Amino acid sequence: MARMKFYCDEERCIECEGCTVACEEAHELPVGISRRKVVTINEGMEGKEFSVSVACMHCTDAPCEQVCPVDCFYIRADGIVLYDKEKCIGCGYCLYACPFGAPQFPRDGAFGTRGVMDKCTMCAGGPEETNSIKERELYGQNRIAEGKVPMCAAVCATNALIVGDEEEVSAIYRKRVMSRGKGVIGSPYGWSTAYKG
Amino acid sequence: MKKIVIFILAALSMYAREFIGHVPLVEKAKEVHFGGSHLNSPELLHNILHYQKWGELFVYLQVHWFRVLFLGITIGVLVVFLLHYLIIGPKKFSHEGKGFYVYSVFKRVIHWLAALAFVIIVPTGFIMIFGQYFGGGEFVRYARYMHSVGTVLFVIAGIPMFLMWFVPMLATFDDIKWFMILGGYLTKKKVVVPAGQFNAGQKMWFWVAMVGGFAMIITGAMMYFQDFDIEMLKKLNLDQIDLIRIAAIVHNFLGMAVTALFITHMYMSLFAIKGSLGSMIDGHKSEDEIKYMHSSFYKKLMKKK
Repeated sequence: MARMKFYCDEERCIECEGCTVACEEAHELPVGISRRKVVTINEGMEGKEFSVSVACMHCTDAPCEQVCPVDCFYIRADGIVLYDKEKCIGCGYCLYACPFGAPQFPRDGAFGTRGVMDKCTMCAGGPEETNSIKERELYGQNRIAEGKVPMCAAVCATNALIVGDEEEVSAIYRKRVMSRGKGVIGSPYGWSTAYKG
Repeated sequence: MKKIVIFILAALSMYAREFIGHVPLVEKAKEVHFGGSHLNSPELLHNILHYQKWGELFVYLQVHWFRVLFLGITIGVLVVFLLHYLIIGPKKFSHEGKGFYVYSVFKRVIHWLAALAFVIIVPTGFIMIFGQYFGGGEFVRYARYMHSVGTVLFVIAGIPMFLMWFVPMLATFDDIKWFMILGGYLTKKKVVVPAGQFNAGQKMWFWVAMVGGFAMIITGAMMYFQDFDIEMLKKLNLDQIDLIRIAAIVHNFLGMAVTALFITHMYMSLFAIKGSLGSMIDGHKSEDEIKYMHSSFYKKLMKKK
């Protein structure tokens, strides 16, 4: 079984925010909700500055799934962490637990406060019937079911953002690191936090 | 007069310029959109870099401890009182005579308003903590909203309550003696309990509910509003997300203390001391009850007579 993972190559990411915009548009997200963001680390420090695109990493033993008081998360066999918006109460615990700040909360709840959570689905929809109108309205496109690459990776101009089976992604990562000739092969940024053990 | 008009016009024009000449100072993509959260941008970065500080602790406590402790404390307290009721039994006092008028209408209204707030807040909090057993969704979401509504009630009742009972709730020497015999609750005999208008147990409840309740309002508000900007905490090297994590942890632990004492308070008033609830209904406490349960207060009342 494939284990789906994201990998953003910090040597290639040019902080164009193309992935952010593509995601927002593909899933028709409301204003203020970005399932994917580009962050720049060590900004202004010469030689150390780099940018990576961050969304839900679909962690192993996802902390969000562990802390959710209403158990609205479920992890697919291929590792994609999905959630049930009809179960979610918008408590925010998943956000507190997330190492990547992935869960988003639109301010459409009572008295203009947090509504139910929204996050990256790796373009795999949700618990509703696949490719149904309801699924699309609640979770956005289900591109995985259609055999398409998730939107963010599909539009990435520099091929910095890659998504796919762990082994294939790792192979690309190794090849890139080797060809740069910078030595030690570690793991892609964020992987040690997301895919422990 | 002219000067005032000119001053107002000048002030208004300054104010208007804020809008006319508004140029966004950040790149479009980095601007915090209306309806978005700071935690999304720009604070997202802090979350990613400093997760280990408080994030892991929060996950550990929420996964392994909060639910277990809440359940354990609630069941533990209930079992202790059930045993107390069965083994030692309730205290009965004569309710003959008029008794003393101890709680004014105002005090009773405030008390019941706070009581209503707690009756809303505590169970809805439980519904959220054990939300998965209620299936989540609409019902638990409704509980979450009611938790906030109850908080508003608590704020309204809490401030006058704090002011009206602040002085009689201050600790006295009696309280140490009260704790030595645990309020006389461990014996079937009617003992003279050292206590003023309020005994040490009531005081404990008052301070936990007031100080703890205030801290719970603050921490709850942090989680409720999510976005805020406190410069001082930035200096303490705390990020917004960490602050909310700490708020969630503190809120949970205080919730345990308040829940335990809330159940205690209900048990005492409804079961342990028969008829004591009456004083919060008509304002009169029986002479017999005051004589034993609030002996120092009784002496004071006798002197007045």
